[in-house]
Amino acid sequence: MIRMLLMLIVFGLFSCNAKTEFKPEYLRHIGDIVTDSSLDDADFELCGEEDAVLQYFNFGDSDKYEGERIAIYDYFQEHYQPVSIDESGWIRVRFIVNCHWQTGRFRMIESDENYNERPFDKAISNQILELTKSLKGWIGYENEERGLDYYQYLVFKIKNGSIVEMLP
Amino acid sequence: MHIRSLIFVVFISFLGKAAHAQYNCEWFKAQGNMVRYQACLEANKSNEFYQFSKEFHEVYDRVMEMDPTWALPYRAKSVSYLKSGDFINWKKLIDQAVAYDTVTYLGYRAGCRFQFFRDYTGAIEDCLLLKKVMNNDMGYTANGQYHLDIVLALSYKALGDPNKAIETILERHHEANYMMGIFDMLHLGVLYAEQGDLQKAKACFEKQEAFNDLAENRYYLAMVYKKLGQKKKYIEQLEKAKSLYTIGLKMNDPYQAPMDKIYLKQIEIALAEHF
Repeated sequence: MIRMLLMLIVFGLFSCNAKTEFKPEYLRHIGDIVTDSSLDDADFELCGEEDAVLQYFNFGDSDKYEGERIAIYDYFQEHYQPVSIDESGWIRVRFIVNCHWQTGRFRMIESDENYNERPFDKAISNQILELTKSLKGWIGYENEERGLDYYQYLVFKIKNGSIVEMLP
Repeated sequence: MHIRSLIFVVFISFLGKAAHAQYNCEWFKAQGNMVRYQACLEANKSNEFYQFSKEFHEVYDRVMEMDPTWALPYRAKSVSYLKSGDFINWKKLIDQAVAYDTVTYLGYRAGCRFQFFRDYTGAIEDCLLLKKVMNNDMGYTANGQYHLDIVLALSYKALGDPNKAIETILERHHEANYMMGIFDMLHLGVLYAEQGDLQKAKACFEKQEAFNDLAENRYYLAMVYKKLGQKKKYIEQLEKAKSLYTIGLKMNDPYQAPMDKIYLKQIEIALAEHF
């Protein structure tokens, strides 16, 4: 009986893995972020509809930040304090920019240098998240009828606790 | 900022939906591969959906179930993860595509590792394997901007080996019938300038100017003139860089900032500096 129970548990685990790998529960678009009152600033609101949030590259190749991307690079160079620790890989912070030049719904993913998901030391990840939240120059857009919202992200390449590259 | 072009956004959405042409499924049928033929017919249903959308991914999930060792659906699904910066899921999917069709997708993965994640070590690994497999001719990146030897060279540069970078670029440039990349001479010029070889750098920037004149080659040429002590030419090139930048003649990529790209602020700082 115990063996059978174990088999069922193992089978169940594999089923869950298979579902995650090949049949995830999709939202409207890959990378969409559902609002979560436990994480998100209650004051942040979309200008348009939930199903009309665009991607940053839908606006062509213009920079979406006041002073262009170099202003973001400079900001992090000035404010990020390198952490002396043997941790390298990538961190992505994804969020939404609304038509009022406000940002919200920040979410983070983290991996090692082999793209395997794993958290960084909080001294690195919290710092990056908070600095990203403090950026105030994201450009908001609107057309004749309504304000537009778009997904933006920043990817940080980390080498031994220091930021060595920023994308996009 | 007020954007007047809703039409543009609609147009972009349309482009996303019409992202690829129909696959030629008859080829699989002619080969007697009926499993792939059926999977291919299913894959063609993705044409009407935006590549980020749930519906697009559901089509390719079905394709993967029908023909799990066909590389194409893994690659198709990977693109939206790539463009949304999700390196974890992108890598899982593109690795599957490479495993099932190494020759077709290894170069693509190399280019993405370089362009989207600055994974220079990974890009070099992929390029060197592909060079072996393809008898030294890797072809170009998906967006056509670079021959993969230039990606390899710039990855060497980023990892601190500029001499190997220069050697790799020159080797490719010496190949008969090589089609010059739109930024090749710019990158080569920057490499020479960083090595202190100013005359070679200048020649490269002038070639870039003749081939594809950008704010960047003017800016870096100005830096060469600065080192050569030629103030008038330094100012002239910076002013030209600024005017090209203002009208959009600069290194562009809708997804990522290319290596050696410069920004308006850098030109303005250089102009304001005392010579």
